[in-house]
Amino acid sequence: MSSTSPPRRRRRLLSTAATALLTALTLVLTACGGSATSGGGAGANTLVIGMTASDIPVLDTGLAQGQGYEGLRFVANQLFDGLTKFDLTDGSKIPTIEPDLAESWTPNADLTSWTFKLRPGVTFHDGTPWNADAAIFNLGRYADKSSPQFYQELNAQGGLSIAGIKNFSKVDDMTIVINTNGPWSYLPVDLATVYFGSPTAIQAEGNQGFAEKPVGTGPFKFESLERGQRLVMTRNETYWNGAPKLDKVILRPIPDPTARTAALRSGEVNWIEVPPPDDVPSLESQGFQVLTNSYNHIWPWVYNMRKAPFDNVKVREALNWAINRQSLVDNILKGTAEPALGYTPKADASFRPESEVYGYDPAKAKQMLAEAGYPDGFTMTLSYPTSGSGNMVPTPMNTALQADLAAIGVKVELKPIEWAAMLNDFFVGNIPDDADAMNISLSFQQEGFWTSWFGSQSSANAGKYSSPEVDALLAKARTVLDDKERSDVYAQVAQVLGKDSPWLVVVNDKNPRVLSSNVQGFVQPQSWFADLTTISVSDSG
Amino acid sequence: MASYVGKRLLMAIPILFGVSIVIFITIKIIPGDPVASLLGPTGSPEARAALTERLGLNDPWPVQYVKWLGHTLTGDLGTSIARRSDVAPMVLDALANTLILSAAAAVIAIVLGVAVGALTALRRTGVLARLGNALALFSISVPQYSIGLLLIIYLAAGAGLFPVSGMYAANGGGGFVDLFNHLILPAVTAALVPAGIIARMFRSSVLDVMSMDFVEALTARGLSHRRVMLHAFHNTVPSLLTVAGLQIGYLLGGVIFVEAVFAWPGIGLLVYQSITQRDLPVIQAGVLVSALAFVMLNLVVDALHGLVDPRIRA
Repeated sequence: MSSTSPPRRRRRLLSTAATALLTALTLVLTACGGSATSGGGAGANTLVIGMTASDIPVLDTGLAQGQGYEGLRFVANQLFDGLTKFDLTDGSKIPTIEPDLAESWTPNADLTSWTFKLRPGVTFHDGTPWNADAAIFNLGRYADKSSPQFYQELNAQGGLSIAGIKNFSKVDDMTIVINTNGPWSYLPVDLATVYFGSPTAIQAEGNQGFAEKPVGTGPFKFESLERGQRLVMTRNETYWNGAPKLDKVILRPIPDPTARTAALRSGEVNWIEVPPPDDVPSLESQGFQVLTNSYNHIWPWVYNMRKAPFDNVKVREALNWAINRQSLVDNILKGTAEPALGYTPKADASFRPESEVYGYDPAKAKQMLAEAGYPDGFTMTLSYPTSGSGNMVPTPMNTALQADLAAIGVKVELKPIEWAAMLNDFFVGNIPDDADAMNISLSFQQEGFWTSWFGSQSSANAGKYSSPEVDALLAKARTVLDDKERSDVYAQVAQVLGKDSPWLVVVNDKNPRVLSSNVQGFVQPQSWFADLTTISVSDSG
Repeated sequence: MASYVGKRLLMAIPILFGVSIVIFITIKIIPGDPVASLLGPTGSPEARAALTERLGLNDPWPVQYVKWLGHTLTGDLGTSIARRSDVAPMVLDALANTLILSAAAAVIAIVLGVAVGALTALRRTGVLARLGNALALFSISVPQYSIGLLLIIYLAAGAGLFPVSGMYAANGGGGFVDLFNHLILPAVTAALVPAGIIARMFRSSVLDVMSMDFVEALTARGLSHRRVMLHAFHNTVPSLLTVAGLQIGYLLGGVIFVEAVFAWPGIGLLVYQSITQRDLPVIQAGVLVSALAFVMLNLVVDALHGLVDPRIRA
């Protein structure tokens, strides 16, 4: 029996067992694959959105902004309404403000007191009627420290949207008055991001409970939330502006851009935000709808004007002629952005052809540097975030700019910093590490941002730009009611900025998103927001 | 045995205490505060100040820590600053998800590691053995993040064999089969490093045991091969337990990249997000339950040691 030597047999036995185990494991793993992807986004008439945020935002009115504007776009604007809203139905024009839960509004002569006529016949998803009491309750929650429902977190998150509100009162059942802190011409614009929840639900559930079971008046109703995984919203059949076409909207946080694109390719989602630029050409060739449009976004370097060399306007302007924005857009961003040649994004109402004040001319840049006393250039530091809402792909972009600037003798030392740490400095008016410049993505989506970034008294003016002329123009803007006339004032501001060059302006993002071919009826607006009510998803595709 | 377990559990208390202090100080030292990251660029200075005050972030650090400790000791893990909801259910849900992923990864790692280890130990010269050695080295060296992405690109998005991310299909009803399908890729990704290490360790441990005198002695005394193998393997178990226990412990914290790539809603991802938001209550709770799970796991491994090796029980 035991003719083979024991150790050899022993070994053979063991190794056979080991091989068998391996084979079995491989088989099990392969067999399990099956039709894993069939249950994904293919469900009839359901939009499944792959968000960039790493978690589902807080589902309570303005608190949704805690995950950036994506939270307002996909949660607040879907579950809730404001008194006003942006008209997102036409991708060829810059969105204007139109009535939402207010039917109309009238300011007094000096724009300090605004009367809002509320829209009749609207009810919250729980049947609570929308009226002056509901409006005042919510405004109190946002902005009246003396009201029992005042919510400090919501007040802080409300930020610029509620900055103009001084007090408010009910006139009659369907009329309210809002008084402002001085003339506040753009109150209706600010109010588009102040959202209204059902007072019944808020009082019954408390603030935390409400965020787990939100009730608004919006086009979609809350159905279910699985923490960190998905939010399901269903069509509001009784939406005052007509029921949306979709049956359901499902939000999924997929923070990794490659995984997000893969989820779209496999059909698990049929809409993704911000594909990696490198994937755009192949997604287009595979029949996906790659959508871009100008919107109110700008990606600058904010110069540190407190010290040399950027206390010198010639140096500040020189760099603006030294960078090849078109090459950045073509090679690194694959057309998902457009060159910014001035301070005003093309999707801002104040954009004028003359707003574009810079170009690409390295010889001119070098000459200006020489005039400023830096014929051989200089060395500078740049603080930039490695990620963060709206910051695009900061590392390759800043590396490209570093190369452009090296060509005129400006050596840039890149100092990456975590987004949360950068914000911490930025909000108290500092540039991290007192670097010579900082890169951050900014916007004029809210008109108050003009003052935030450039007002000499603003706490978020990290570069310490100061111009009495700009301050005066920004104060004037608050007194000009007519939208067109007011945009002329901002256009003048942009002209002054063009002379003072407080930023190195680089690109305006074009808000890239990718939809499956069977997602129909969406208009890509010139906005941070998106109207989901016109969309339908067909079975085929 | 009971007093041994009790002693070990008591020892866990200072460990957890120390962990909580280290985490607290680390989060306080690094720049960035939760209010700034929460409010984005639109928060007014006054509102930020008011919120900071309300969240108790103006208190001196020791006061903040003692307050937190007091609440934690009474079972109140607090409220998430960024998510505005209770920390306890959030962290427990995430821990459960991580345990599912870690358990699956552990099974794959142990089976794969033992199989490859045994194969390479017993057939040191064959092609299969060389392949096994190469595989083990590869799996230890390659970054999980990139392997995860490659698996997603080729097996999930490319071949369509597996879902790309998440725990359940977005539009499905859930259920075990759905979970299982979503589990495979992340579990395999997470299992690679521990599988490689277990394979290498198990290989040397098998070689050690097989070269021991008692193997020859038992054979010489006429024991059947099966009996000899049983004795031989019995002697590899303690070292296998040690290395596997450690590796599975590391899995609990190490799956963070896997969770990030596959959008797996586990404790690693939750703590990572919370760090970027400086959401201290969630970070503290997340790290504490992870540490507790690690301690418990080690305890189980030690208890198993006692079972298989009578010398340790004494």
